[in-house]
Amino acid sequence: MSKLTDAIFCKNLPVRDLKNANRVNLWAIAWAASLAIISFISRYDWYSATLPIALAFVFSSGIGVGMFLAYKRFLKELDELERKIQLDALASSVGVTLVVFGGYSILDKAGLAPELQASSLIVLMALTYMAGIIVGRIRYQ
Amino acid sequence: MKNRLKVLRAERDWTQARLASELEVSRQTVNAIEKEKFDPSLPLAFKISRLFEMPIEEIFSE
Repeated sequence: MSKLTDAIFCKNLPVRDLKNANRVNLWAIAWAASLAIISFISRYDWYSATLPIALAFVFSSGIGVGMFLAYKRFLKELDELERKIQLDALASSVGVTLVVFGGYSILDKAGLAPELQASSLIVLMALTYMAGIIVGRIRYQ
Repeated sequence: MKNRLKVLRAERDWTQARLASELEVSRQTVNAIEKEKFDPSLPLAFKISRLFEMPIEEIFSE
């Protein structure tokens, strides 16, 4: 059990890496919040005008770019074993998502499954990425 | 890849945490290299070589 908690919280990373990881987490929370806010306000009639939609697009995309740059910096400065674990987890996440998307598309076109939501793919990517990190950290303990 | 990191560390009576601090990596990285689960990058191998004042080939072997 302690192996699993150590893998999840990763308390032995250098302070610099923990600070960078916290920055990435804050950007990710802000990005998710921006999507939730935009989803909420899209119910109102005034939102159908071009200007609010453009502002919402720029607002959310800007936060997304910030998140991406923070993650890039995090990876660049990261402890090298942890970087390998992160890259392996990213590879697993992309691979699993592509395979599931391909398989689901076949079922979707055949009318055997409901239409695929983009949000489901984001959740799948996030879950496989997190699982990949935990498995990687346990493997190298 | 085999290595003598654990032996060299023990000779100096250093902990994994101390070695990790000297090399500016995590303790897990030192542990994984010692257990030969993870091969260090070339810059880290040079850092280890400089720290122990030994040629790389005396620390790492195939």
